[in-house]
Amino acid sequence: MRKYVTALAAITAVASGVAVLQLKAAVQSELDDVKALAQQIHEDQEAIRVIEAEWAYLTTPRILQERSIQFLALMPPRAKQIVSDPSLVPFRPKGLEVEPDPGVLLPVSHEKKENLKVKKDKDTKKKGHNL
Amino acid sequence: MTDYSPSLLNVSNEHRQSAIEIARGRLIFAVLLFCAAFLIMVARTMELGLSAPAPRMIARKQVVVPAIEMSRADILDRNGEILATNLETSSLYVDASAIKDPAEAARRLVTVLPTLSQADVEEKLASNRKFIWLKRKLTPRQKWAVNALGEPAFHFQREEERIYPQGRLAAHAIGYVDVDGKGLGGVEHFFNARLNDDDLKTSALKLSLDIRVQYALADELEAAMRAYKALGAAGLVMDVNSGEVLGLVSLPDYDPNNVRGIGDTEKFNRVTQGVYELGSTFKTFTFAAALDDGLVSLEDGYDASKPLRVARFTIRDDHPKNRFLTLPEIFTYSSNIGTAQMALDLGADRQQEFLSELGLLQASNIELTEVGAPLYPSTWRKSSIMTISYGHGIAVSPLQLATGISAMVNGGRLLPATLAADAGGRHDGKQVISSATSRKIRQLLRLAVSKGTGGRANAIGYRVGGKTGTAEKPIAGGYDRKALISSFVGVYPMDDPKYVVFALLDEPKGTKETHGFAAGGWVAAPVVRNVILRTAPLLGVSPKEENKELYQRVSLMIEK
Repeated sequence: MRKYVTALAAITAVASGVAVLQLKAAVQSELDDVKALAQQIHEDQEAIRVIEAEWAYLTTPRILQERSIQFLALMPPRAKQIVSDPSLVPFRPKGLEVEPDPGVLLPVSHEKKENLKVKKDKDTKKKGHNL
Repeated sequence: MTDYSPSLLNVSNEHRQSAIEIARGRLIFAVLLFCAAFLIMVARTMELGLSAPAPRMIARKQVVVPAIEMSRADILDRNGEILATNLETSSLYVDASAIKDPAEAARRLVTVLPTLSQADVEEKLASNRKFIWLKRKLTPRQKWAVNALGEPAFHFQREEERIYPQGRLAAHAIGYVDVDGKGLGGVEHFFNARLNDDDLKTSALKLSLDIRVQYALADELEAAMRAYKALGAAGLVMDVNSGEVLGLVSLPDYDPNNVRGIGDTEKFNRVTQGVYELGSTFKTFTFAAALDDGLVSLEDGYDASKPLRVARFTIRDDHPKNRFLTLPEIFTYSSNIGTAQMALDLGADRQQEFLSELGLLQASNIELTEVGAPLYPSTWRKSSIMTISYGHGIAVSPLQLATGISAMVNGGRLLPATLAADAGGRHDGKQVISSATSRKIRQLLRLAVSKGTGGRANAIGYRVGGKTGTAEKPIAGGYDRKALISSFVGVYPMDDPKYVVFALLDEPKGTKETHGFAAGGWVAAPVVRNVILRTAPLLGVSPKEENKELYQRVSLMIEK
């Protein structure tokens, strides 16, 4: 009996030691991952700075104008082409009319489907009652 | 003795056995204690391993991302576009003592860095010194190529480089830095301490410039400078209600990314540093002073039938009508004779005081160190009064003029010009003229464009008002009739002024399209019109039908 107790104690001690070591190793590797990630974030931030500077260089108005002349047939707008009130635009589609309901903010198509569902639910409930 | 011995033995045996029992009991007790302790530890370990970590513990152990440390703050425009930024670069140096075959290493290095001379590099590599610079500030691609050579003696030193992605655009406003990152021109110089401040490095400096407006202005001025073969050009766009400078162009310009070998002509800022006799644009101030004092009203007039003689000067009109002119006529036809007489009525003291109040006699205090002080006569004689009334005999910078014109049209508040973006809100400057006078000046400026000399600045739909200015360049002992400073100052929209646009050309030559004329109304006014047409939609000024009634009564006083 005593032998067993001693052996059990020894095994438990070894097992828990191994478990603690494993846990420590796992934590260490997680920590290394976190550090690597932080470093990666730092490097990415520096890369973003470079890319932002490059973007500013590539989108400087002079270059944009050159590209626009090269690839697009766009002209500066004339005063006549600028309308301050959009309702003056001819043949402008008005969009679908919705009944004013302050509680519902969904588009018309959504609203209809929901109504159908509610109807079905009611139908099944009625059937249930009949059964 | 022997009888006792067994019993004694027995006793001692018994005694020993009981002692051993006790010891064992104690030992087991200790072992159990240890076992219990281990069990507790096992249980705790398992609990720690299995349970989800408590959120507050994560919060306590924050992940620290190393911050990007640049030695100088960025400069942005009002919309957040990058005007100047610091980027990390690498400089290549070599430990020559570790080089085995200098000739081969030099040959391979020159293949990836073709700007280096092979003989030079070979000499450096053969020198056996521990540290020699080979090339400063490599691009990331070059660095990669050098690393790909696999030569262990090549090393890199981290360095920083100031980059101006917009190139020569806004060079005079932004300025430039030396190799060590010390600001030498523009806001880089003016805000050098703030840009290098350790606490403010991470927050960018925001300027009032709008890079799109800046480009439209630079593009139009460049085109005009080329078309009229001018020596130089200057331009300015300013918010009349805040004094913010949205565009500041001085031509010829330079690329701040590479300032080596750039001459003083290119570095000279014509907008703030250059002072010019700006000509008739100054009439606006003479009119404002006279109208504000109640000296004259718009219904009054002066005789402009013959040239005026004063001392050794003769004052003539560029667009002579040879008759009595009403005030609106004097302004729209830009009559020197009429304006000079009005200035005489105003008097030297009042004229000087008024110009000083507008800041035209002191250097502007914009956030630049390249600021020119105005030139004006030390003794204000009668001839000075008359010539200064139409912008001769006084030289101011375009920036000062634009600041003064802003005060004339924005309701009379003088707002100092600034290059720093502000948060907005109402700006209360010093009231220099009444808002009623400001309204009259607006009418006059609008009529000078719709009926007078500034017709070519009329950007349809944007209700532009403005005044032309043409001055001959002073030379020793007089004026050079052929060398002109032609300018135009425009304001729009005139019913609620928002922006002032100024354009100046230095010694433009007339062309066939301008019938040989090189005056402000011919060469500078179209620049202002084009800039307004290009920038008004960007700045949110919408074109609309003009309210003709605003100008009806004044325009009736103008005869053809």
